[in-house]
Amino acid sequence: MAAGASFVLDDVRVSYGSCVALDGVDLTIEPGEAVALVGPSGAGKTTLLGLLNGAVRPDRGSVVVDGRVLRDLSPAELRRARADIGFVHQDLALVPNVRVLQNVLHGQLGRMSFLRALRAAAFPPRRAVAEVYEILERVGIAEKIYEPTRRLSGGQRQRVAIARALYQKPRALLADEPVSSVDPARARDAVALLVEVSRERKLTLCVSLHNLELAREFFPRLIGIRAGRIAFDRSSALHDRDFHALYDLAEEQVS
Amino acid sequence: MSERAATIWIPVPPTRVSVRSLVVGLLVAAAILSAMYLHLGPGTLTPSLAGRRAAAEFFVRALSPAARYESDVMPGTPPLLVTALRAVGVTVVIAASAMSLAVVIGLLLAFVASNAWWIGERAGAQSLWMRLLRRSVAPIAYGSARVVMALMRSTHELLWAVLFLAAFGLSHTAAVLAIAIPFGGTLGKVFSEMIDEAPRDAAEALRGAGAAPLQVFFFGLFPRVFPDICAYTFYRFECSLRASAVLGFFGFPTLGYYISASFENLHYGEVWTYLYTLIALVIVVDIWSAGLRRRLVV
Repeated sequence: MAAGASFVLDDVRVSYGSCVALDGVDLTIEPGEAVALVGPSGAGKTTLLGLLNGAVRPDRGSVVVDGRVLRDLSPAELRRARADIGFVHQDLALVPNVRVLQNVLHGQLGRMSFLRALRAAAFPPRRAVAEVYEILERVGIAEKIYEPTRRLSGGQRQRVAIARALYQKPRALLADEPVSSVDPARARDAVALLVEVSRERKLTLCVSLHNLELAREFFPRLIGIRAGRIAFDRSSALHDRDFHALYDLAEEQVS
Repeated sequence: MSERAATIWIPVPPTRVSVRSLVVGLLVAAAILSAMYLHLGPGTLTPSLAGRRAAAEFFVRALSPAARYESDVMPGTPPLLVTALRAVGVTVVIAASAMSLAVVIGLLLAFVASNAWWIGERAGAQSLWMRLLRRSVAPIAYGSARVVMALMRSTHELLWAVLFLAAFGLSHTAAVLAIAIPFGGTLGKVFSEMIDEAPRDAAEALRGAGAAPLQVFFFGLFPRVFPDICAYTFYRFECSLRASAVLGFFGFPTLGYYISASFENLHYGEVWTYLYTLIALVIVVDIWSAGLRRRLVV
């Protein structure tokens, strides 16, 4: 199995109308790396993650995933490229009124024809169910497999979202503020789970985080983003000076 | 400085508010003028003595609906209650057939008339064919579906019934089509709006996982609105029962046929028997659909 995906952003600029979300961003993420994006709300973390999974198209510069420039891909190629990247959304983005099993099965839609997907939704193949069960077991909610998703707690739903991303058999895992949808006690578990499963499966991991403590604890590399630019890009064995830079960011979040 | 601090500054509301009050004023004036034009008022409701007597007679019979025919009938005619139940049967069958057809029409139209399925990938190159589909074919299909739905539902089912009666005569197919067409148009419009207004988060997530637009629509968007679609369909089923009953006034053997026949013969007791059957039918359907809806939403 191939190792994790690599990402290269080259002088990327993204704007929404007159509002510039990211500007002059250069970034390289190596296969199998675990990276945390830190910075205040509105700094551009979500936009940056959107660039990495092909949801956001840059105005300028290029996004290269595994050596392929996303801009040059045909829609079908882009779909295939996106199928290789699991994304855990901030609002989880599950379908609430279907079973957990269905939500996880959705992870593989990108690799199925429409008719096969319909058949799999109506009569899930035994092997697929077994595989989903195994993943749900890994994230700790195997017993919920046939539960309607809306009946789950926030933390459990987040695990469903992670399971869906994993069932995609991705080469990279992206997560947008995975701690915002759970209570603080569960936040650490959520981040730990993402880091562990990515390590086990040799996935490239990129997570945006408000919480600097968690970022420092779990990620060897931190990328600070402020006002649409990369403020710093350091290993998390921080010098005091870097820590102060982070601390400034934290101050900004508070104010 | 101190002078300015002493005055209280109030932000000026945007001028649009006054335009809005002008519009409201015009609407109120229009309502009053229409009422005057139509000579609306309690004075015009004074019934004639005979009319009052007939009305009193009719409403008094509400307390004593007929259990058997109020005049001699041809030998071999089934008892009144059997006739009423048969009429209920025909009413339900026509309503159910019409709704089944209307749901199919509505879902097909809703799919074409929602813009959810042709919003495309944002990153990546687009082939000429895809661009053509998104920029012209899809919007044209969208627009025409909206026009078709408007035409279907702007004509009342009774008018469709008149049309089909003239064309096909008194057949069940005519009755079913007369209801299915306007109801299909309404369902299509409401379904498409439900689909377009549904949260797109799951749909975006599936797109992010590489799902094709059709898959995004059917797995990310449609399940989200499915309970709403069912609930609204049940509500419309109740409406179609009433429509089916009323089509009887044109001679289709639904409840309305017997109601109008008995009414013309001044058999008010029979009228009330049929009316109570209709009311019971609507109540039963309401209880049933409420139960189903409860189970769907959870």
